Amino acid sequence: MNQTIDSPKVTPNYEAVAWKWMRYSGLLLIPLAWGHVLIQDVVVGVHAIDLDYVAMRWATLGWRVYDFLLLAFAFAHGVNGLRQVVHDFIKDERRMRTVSWLLLILWIVVSLIGAAAIIGGVRIE
Amino acid sequence: MRSIQTTISGFSRYRGREGHWSFILHRLTGLGTLLFLIIHILDTSTVYFFPSLYSHAIDIYRSTPFMIGEIFLVFSIIFHGVNGARIALFDLYLTSRWKTPSQRSSARWTLVIAILLWLPAAAMMMRSMLVNNFNL
Repeated sequence: MNQTIDSPKVTPNYEAVAWKWMRYSGLLLIPLAWGHVLIQDVVVGVHAIDLDYVAMRWATLGWRVYDFLLLAFAFAHGVNGLRQVVHDFIKDERRMRTVSWLLLILWIVVSLIGAAAIIGGVRIE
Repeated sequence: MRSIQTTISGFSRYRGREGHWSFILHRLTGLGTLLFLIIHILDTSTVYFFPSLYSHAIDIYRSTPFMIGEIFLVFSIIFHGVNGARIALFDLYLTSRWKTPSQRSSARWTLVIAILLWLPAAAMMMRSMLVNNFNL
């Protein structure tokens, strides 16, 4: 007799967690990224953006928190997505591990640079 | 290298229709957005590390080719979001409806919704480009 188990108990491994995380972070990024693009690219526009504009925006703590969340979620979502794309092309496990490490380093370095800027704010020389 | 050749020839040979096309478009828009995101994090960071360089970065974004690129970037972000919501919806909540007919129609709707959301944004950005770069 065949049996169908509706919710089998499986301990999720790393890839299963990453798979779920991509979906939940993606849903969160819809308001975050779309809001950012709507304000900065569509309504304000690049011609109205300069150092003073960034300083004015970051004078509000809420916008710094917003940008920090966007940086954390969007970039992690993007780098993990790139890792998944690369995984389709590299079949050699050792080489894939090297690429994963390089992507992890890229993610940490660029995230830290961005975070430092958000925390440090605009430096008026 | 061979796997890339297989992928490219496979992309044209595999006939998954709507699901296949939305998969390709999801990847391309995602990779494009990530490429811009890396550049964007670094150029914005100059406000803290090298404030005098920030205006040079902004000047590049104000040029016509980059403003046209920006319009396509906005399409990428809108499409990737609508299609991502579709994927998340079926993967997390409508698992029993992951079937070919619902995938085909939902993939079509995704493209329609993305284009409808994009057009007004594209029009406003195009207008900004004509006003600022061509004095119209």
